[in-house]
Amino acid sequence: MSFSQGELVAMAYAVVFVFVLAYVAIIAAKLARLQRETAELVELARARPAGRAPEYPPTVPGEQRARGPATGPARGTG
Amino acid sequence: MGAALLLALVIAPEDADQGISQRIFYIHVPIALTAYFCFGLGALKALLLLWRGEERYDLESYVAIHQGTIFGALTLITGAIWARASWGVWWTWSSNQLVLFLVLFLFYCAYFMLRYSLEEGPRRARSSAVYALFGLALIPVSFLAIRLADDFIHPTVFTREGPQMSGTMFATFCVSWGAVTLLAYVLYRVELAGKRLDADLRELREALR
Repeated sequence: MSFSQGELVAMAYAVVFVFVLAYVAIIAAKLARLQRETAELVELARARPAGRAPEYPPTVPGEQRARGPATGPARGTG
Repeated sequence: MGAALLLALVIAPEDADQGISQRIFYIHVPIALTAYFCFGLGALKALLLLWRGEERYDLESYVAIHQGTIFGALTLITGAIWARASWGVWWTWSSNQLVLFLVLFLFYCAYFMLRYSLEEGPRRARSSAVYALFGLALIPVSFLAIRLADDFIHPTVFTREGPQMSGTMFATFCVSWGAVTLLAYVLYRVELAGKRLDADLRELREALR
């Protein structure tokens, strides 16, 4: 199989581009897995102290902070 | 990266001797230099691990060597394409530069085999660090091979008289080198952050059980 000089130059740059793209895709997949695991751990941490399921599903971290802790005894109930 | 591509593929003048295929130089050489740098960084982190005993250097050394292996693979592939364009063959065993770089690459590929054959812990970290340090000896040998041996196939662009290219070509090379180094740095930081997060989550999972 013969390639022209221009095709070989394009091939060299395309190989680098594909490698970087594949690397970014792998990192993105890993980040998605870590995000999933973090959500699972949040669930686990919420369920743990009171020994029951959380009152509401995990949402945006900022929103959760604004609403206060999801588990544990309610204030003033002793 | 965009500026580097524009300079390398459009603005830089065509080489009188090699023609358009010389444009592979702007991606092949910066990638090769980055691979050497990553392997060197991995060895430096390994030395720091053995010297100071801090656990974080193990992961940093591993990620640097992983990056080096990726850039090393790219060096071999882009080099093979350039060889096909310039010499008419994909590979030649008669060039010391090529063979020594392949040896260096395979040496660091074996690093992963060693690392994953041992159980996680201080013993694995120390063994991996010692292995990574041995590879350090191969880096200058591979880098200087072309100057030390009678190798007339692989071109020598940087000599004692300076770079053997025009000002625009040299500027293009510098921009490309900067872009590839920046890319390697970003990938290194992202991978390291991912690995650390992974380790932290594993620890947290154990603590919550």
